[in-house]
Amino acid sequence: MRTVLSSLRHLILGETWTIPIGVGAALLLAVLVRASLSESAWETGGGFALAGLVIAALAGSLRRSP
Amino acid sequence: MSFVLIMAAAAAAVAIEMLEALAIVLAVGMARGFRDALLGALAAVVGVVLLCLALGPALLAGTDLHVLRVVVGTLLLLFGLEWLRKGILRMAGRRRRSSSHDEFLEQRAALERHPAAEGRHWAARLVSFKGVFLEGLEVGLIVLALGGAPGRLTPALLGAALALALVGAIGLVMQRPLGRLPETQLKLGVGVALTAFGTFFTAEGLHVEWPLGDLALVYLAGLFAVTAWLATQRLTRTAPAAEAT
Repeated sequence: MRTVLSSLRHLILGETWTIPIGVGAALLLAVLVRASLSESAWETGGGFALAGLVIAALAGSLRRSP
Repeated sequence: MSFVLIMAAAAAAVAIEMLEALAIVLAVGMARGFRDALLGALAAVVGVVLLCLALGPALLAGTDLHVLRVVVGTLLLLFGLEWLRKGILRMAGRRRRSSSHDEFLEQRAALERHPAAEGRHWAARLVSFKGVFLEGLEVGLIVLALGGAPGRLTPALLGAALALALVGAIGLVMQRPLGRLPETQLKLGVGVALTAFGTFFTAEGLHVEWPLGDLALVYLAGLFAVTAWLATQRLTRTAPAAEAT
């Protein structure tokens, strides 16, 4: 049972915690940025802000890799 | 536009995952006989289909479209970034390159080191089942995530069906083509595509209006491809090569 759960965790979250944590942080920051911008500014620029945060999450996971 | 892009992304992801499953089934088949290998694989396929039939309606019947897009986008980001990370590390020489052919050879050698005894056919079936089930589950989750938004299930399923037919055909021709595929580059490409879709859907779920509509998928993919290339260059320059699985 432990092996199956471990395989499922590995399958969905990957082999390192840095990506799930990075994605979670990116989403949280995106929500905060959205709250601080006007609706029209978020609608046009929010996607690029999220893309930047996703790239930051990737960079963070690469820094923690061997 | 998004119909073709979703179909292509689903086809690429499914084809690559199924190649890995095929390598395991071929190894079991050649070492212990194809009857046991196919029985194990068939049981795994039935298991994955039943799981997807249980999970799919729950995912697709989401009441709020924006919440559904955020959930789907987050799932795709988790898969895509993991594939991207591994792909960049492989391209930079920090990890062993991905090869279903090598996996096939290793699996076959491992099975041949332990000759079949009475009742050992269950071991062969189990190896085949585990390989196909785990790869199949990843395929199922990716296809469900890609097809999760309204009107996107058809291209995701079409892409998956195309990929299954292609991998099935490769399986009939046997192992040789496995060794010739540039799997590391293909996996990196799928990572780029899944990350682009994940960013696109998550942003849509957060009420973003992408400039140029669905074409945003193309420039997002370009952005992540350039990022992957730059990261590979940087990692290649800054550290010695290391072997890891």
